[in-house]
Amino acid sequence: MNKILIGRYITGDSIVYKMDPRGKLVATILFIFVIFLANNPATYAILTIFSLVAVAATKLKGKVFWDGVKPIIWLILFTSLLQLFFTVGGKVYWQWMMLAVSSYGIINAIYIFIRFTLIVLISTVMTVTTMPLEIADAIEWLLTPLKLFKVPVDKIALVMSIALRFVPTLFDQTFKIMNAQRARGADFNNGGLITRAKAITPLLVPLFISSLETAIDLATAMESRGYRGDQGRTRYRILQWSLYDLINLVYFIILVILLLIFRTH
Amino acid sequence: MPIKKMLEIELRDLILLGIIVAMKIILERFTIGTSLAHIGLGFIGSVLLGYMFGPVWGAAGGGIADLVSSALFGNQGGFFIGFTLSAMVGPFIYGLFFYQKPVKIWRIVVAVLLVSIIVNVGMNTLWLHFLYNVDYKAALVQRAPMEIIVPWVQMIVVYFVLMAISRIKINR
Repeated sequence: MNKILIGRYITGDSIVYKMDPRGKLVATILFIFVIFLANNPATYAILTIFSLVAVAATKLKGKVFWDGVKPIIWLILFTSLLQLFFTVGGKVYWQWMMLAVSSYGIINAIYIFIRFTLIVLISTVMTVTTMPLEIADAIEWLLTPLKLFKVPVDKIALVMSIALRFVPTLFDQTFKIMNAQRARGADFNNGGLITRAKAITPLLVPLFISSLETAIDLATAMESRGYRGDQGRTRYRILQWSLYDLINLVYFIILVILLLIFRTH
Repeated sequence: MPIKKMLEIELRDLILLGIIVAMKIILERFTIGTSLAHIGLGFIGSVLLGYMFGPVWGAAGGGIADLVSSALFGNQGGFFIGFTLSAMVGPFIYGLFFYQKPVKIWRIVVAVLLVSIIVNVGMNTLWLHFLYNVDYKAALVQRAPMEIIVPWVQMIVVYFVLMAISRIKINR
């Protein structure tokens, strides 16, 4: 259990930073569906080029993106390898019981590797170039249509901003509690399963109690500042579309059109 | 119970929900176990959400936790609605079994097993299939070893957590 950095936002000044978070979020979400369109070498090449251009447009160091891929590189490789052995069809090069290496398998494994990497890269572009608060605002904007189904979007937005605000605070608190318990002999990393399961309570219970206290205090403070529910309020932080979002949109549409033209139908 | 009544929530509880969501996000960052098998602690957050806020707000909390942690840390599998849905179903099931009910071993066993079968084995494999076009069989082979061991550890942890948390509720 070591210290983890909060937030992956890295300051920068390229055009990707100037785009509206809503546009970026929508593009990131749709990118996953656009990937489904790719089904032959040409389309995968187009996808790769477009993604790498997006990555380059952030003007960030390659290491930033490598850090995004690194934690799951083994998962990506392992998944690709499994695909290699389980996909059958085409020319068979090697066979042992259920496992076989075939030409379909090799192609499929490469495709999956590309898909995985591109999705991670594009998600990294999103989280690295946009502040968490902006992403939260963008998510809230995306949820607005749910109001039609009587989903309490404003309440959800409030919960979201409180969670966002309290992650760093609780993080510090967690480490303080852990250290305090350690100072009196608590051991979070040793012992059998049951011992370890039990070791979580001296961490969780104080954390939970302090959360209850914070909630009561904050609710009192908000009510005394005149909070009477989420309706009929104005907004201080407002997102604004700009010309850069047009670039984003056009770039994305060109990608989709190219994929539609070059994919095997 | 009508939906409208289920959606009613006091400001204090709404804020507590926000803070528990933050707690879940932090717990997700922690793992217990040896170098061989790591078990993330995010499920404790899901259990707390279900236990304290019931299936409906628990599910909402689970979804929000997924969104906020994506915003903060980025989503390892990429932004995908399916995983948000998975994150909602966990607390929903825990809510059905734990919300305003006494802590019983059978409840814990059934709830944890249901979550791991429906969410981890079922839904998440389905999303991987959608997202990366991986073969079901291969995805299951990859997942099986973890999903056979982890639920039993989770049950033990859930038992101790629920016992501890229910004590706090009585104290208040």
